[in-house]
Amino acid sequence: MFKKIYFVMTMLMLASVILAACTTTASPTASSPTASSNTTTDQKAAAANVTLRVLIHQNPPMVAFMEAFNQSFHKKYPNITIDMSVVNASDLSTVTQTRLTANDVDVVDMFGFANAAQSYMKKVDAPNWQQLIDAGLLMDLTGQPFVQKYDAAAVKDAGTYNGKVYEINLGRVSYSGIYYNKDMFTANNVKVPTVWSELVAACQTFKAANISCMTAGGKDGWPIFVGAYGLLGSIYPDQAALVQGLWTGTIKWNDAKSLSMWERMQVYTSEMMESGASGIAGDAAPGRFASGAVAMFPGGTWYAPAIDAAQPAFKWGYIPFPGSDNAEDNKYLFGKYDQGWAVAAGTPNKDAALLYLTEFSDSANYQAFVDAVGFIPTQSTATLNTTIGKEVAPYLVNFRVGYEQYWIAPKGAGQFANPWASYFKPFGTDDDPKTLADKVQADLQSGLDAVK
Amino acid sequence: MTTYHFGRGRARWVPYLLLLPGIFFYVLIALGPSMATAVYSFTDATGLKGAPVHWVGLDNYKEFLFMGQASKDNFAALERTLVFCFFVTTIQFGLGLFIAVLINQNLKGRNIFRTLYFMPVILGAVIQGLIWSLFLFPIGGPMARVLEFFGTRSEFLGGQPSEAFAWVIAIQIWANMGTTMIIFLSGLQTIPTELYEAVRIDGANSWQVFQNVTWPLLTPSVNTNLTLNIIGSLQAWQLFLVLLGYRNGTQVLGYLIYATGFGQTSGSVTSSFRQGYAAAASIILFLLVLVIGMAVQTILRRREVRIMG
Repeated sequence: MFKKIYFVMTMLMLASVILAACTTTASPTASSPTASSNTTTDQKAAAANVTLRVLIHQNPPMVAFMEAFNQSFHKKYPNITIDMSVVNASDLSTVTQTRLTANDVDVVDMFGFANAAQSYMKKVDAPNWQQLIDAGLLMDLTGQPFVQKYDAAAVKDAGTYNGKVYEINLGRVSYSGIYYNKDMFTANNVKVPTVWSELVAACQTFKAANISCMTAGGKDGWPIFVGAYGLLGSIYPDQAALVQGLWTGTIKWNDAKSLSMWERMQVYTSEMMESGASGIAGDAAPGRFASGAVAMFPGGTWYAPAIDAAQPAFKWGYIPFPGSDNAEDNKYLFGKYDQGWAVAAGTPNKDAALLYLTEFSDSANYQAFVDAVGFIPTQSTATLNTTIGKEVAPYLVNFRVGYEQYWIAPKGAGQFANPWASYFKPFGTDDDPKTLADKVQADLQSGLDAVK
Repeated sequence: MTTYHFGRGRARWVPYLLLLPGIFFYVLIALGPSMATAVYSFTDATGLKGAPVHWVGLDNYKEFLFMGQASKDNFAALERTLVFCFFVTTIQFGLGLFIAVLINQNLKGRNIFRTLYFMPVILGAVIQGLIWSLFLFPIGGPMARVLEFFGTRSEFLGGQPSEAFAWVIAIQIWANMGTTMIIFLSGLQTIPTELYEAVRIDGANSWQVFQNVTWPLLTPSVNTNLTLNIIGSLQAWQLFLVLLGYRNGTQVLGYLIYATGFGQTSGSVTSSFRQGYAAAASIILFLLVLVIGMAVQTILRRREVRIMG
């Protein structure tokens, strides 16, 4: 009996040892950071074999560019292999948190710093990028030569915290415009709308011609309300002031001005959006627009490369969402600082990570990047070569950071405390603008009262 | 004199020694994190290595239960969790039993049917979600075509929250029914055929056979399935994430906990990592599972004693 038991236990122990031996470190070929202060980053990175772990978010043209860039980087530095992971934009912060905490990533893609707590906001938590820095998980990039290549304003606004640089931001995007099908507009004798009434009339014309007016990636939820940010912006052009007004009570979601926004949002979701848009994924919407199934596509500038990739000969234009009946109110483009690079503070591959960012920031590489993804560049030497670049160029003087980049909901606010078009049918349950406006304000007020 | 299966003397301790690895992993993977969650629920932990953690007492619980409209939304999610649990448990249980009885018959190709019914179980939540997203695609998807044939249409998962919620219930049942069926099937195969022959000789019809032989003797399988279905559906969150994302009017408690704890966002809107708060919500969910689970266990155990003796 004992022999049998000992045999079983010995086998268990052996299995444990084998399993333990199979466990690999996160970066088996990674080198330890070298301590020599005299050697350059390039020399140190070139000294040993390194697997550099890079995390980015899903954006098809960006992923395609990064794959090509990684290949050329590896060709130039054969000892550095890039292990790139791609996650959905909605999951980026989750994966960043877990992988940084596990010290399982070297270079991370982070959206530009936003949603910082303002003095008039009470009892709000720090945004996740700030939490990451406060926890010591992001590397201080201040003074790195490649940082100097980027606009000082972009470095300050989108990547600086407490006077130190933690992110280099790679470009701005607008999300408050509408793509339109030039041939379809011409064929149906429709003028490019500059005011709300013209937009309504255009949609009616297309509808009469049995053409769906607009599409959006409703399956992901946020593309529906992001597409309507132009509506919000045409009514509240100063979005930072809007956020302050909502917190201090000088602006309400159910006052007369806001009510006109809700009424138009209902028209946008219920009448302008095509049936079935709720099932279209964000990544698939550009392809649907490029296929000629719809006349317009409210969406971010980052979709432009995907439209071109789907139908290279397709002729399209991009205009600010004409949400107001006054053309002067419709001249703004609202947006945000999009992707940026940050480095894990605990990376064992510091030199390779910095070399990666240096190489990426090279003027030629950066120009190729903005050409590929359609970002509004944050390097002053880069030019707007792309179709989307040329389309937005006339409005860049009126580029403003959007509401969502400022807003932090007070604790206790209900889930409807946002100006989201997706609350309306068919995406949500509401079909009366006044009732919805009251509900949204009540949800917000509940939070404001709770943190008094 | 006491006799030990493994012998006398030091050999008495061998069973405990053999249990040690299991206990070690249970403590490491299940009990330890559970205890840590309970402690975390009284802190403002972010889950980030190196971030300071402060003791906040009952603040997280107060915020979850009593703070403004958000707490009412939490209760709505709690109610939705119970509704989800009720429908998933009852339908999955009934359907699993029905199919198990059906394919326990001497049918041609029954192994193929068993495989087909069990197949969804081996797919991950992401694959399950992808399959159903395509199936329910509202522009020309298979289900949309069927509705079109009847002159109607639906937005399915992207439409009204109640409809989207109902679809998740259906998909959860589809995804897990195979497990219920297999447990019932194994239970059915332990029932001696002599009993069936005996009651048939006594003139019992099919329903009487099921009522008086199959159902009572399936008691252990019934208990196992009910417990697994209830606990599994109360804790469900993956399909909500994959199929619906963060949508008002559809969240259940399990998904809310995930979204809060890991800073789940909408697009690029940043939110905070609030694992302390999420831990408090987890403890509330745990208490819910505990109360319901224990009540069901007590009822089932009494029933088992009554039937099986």
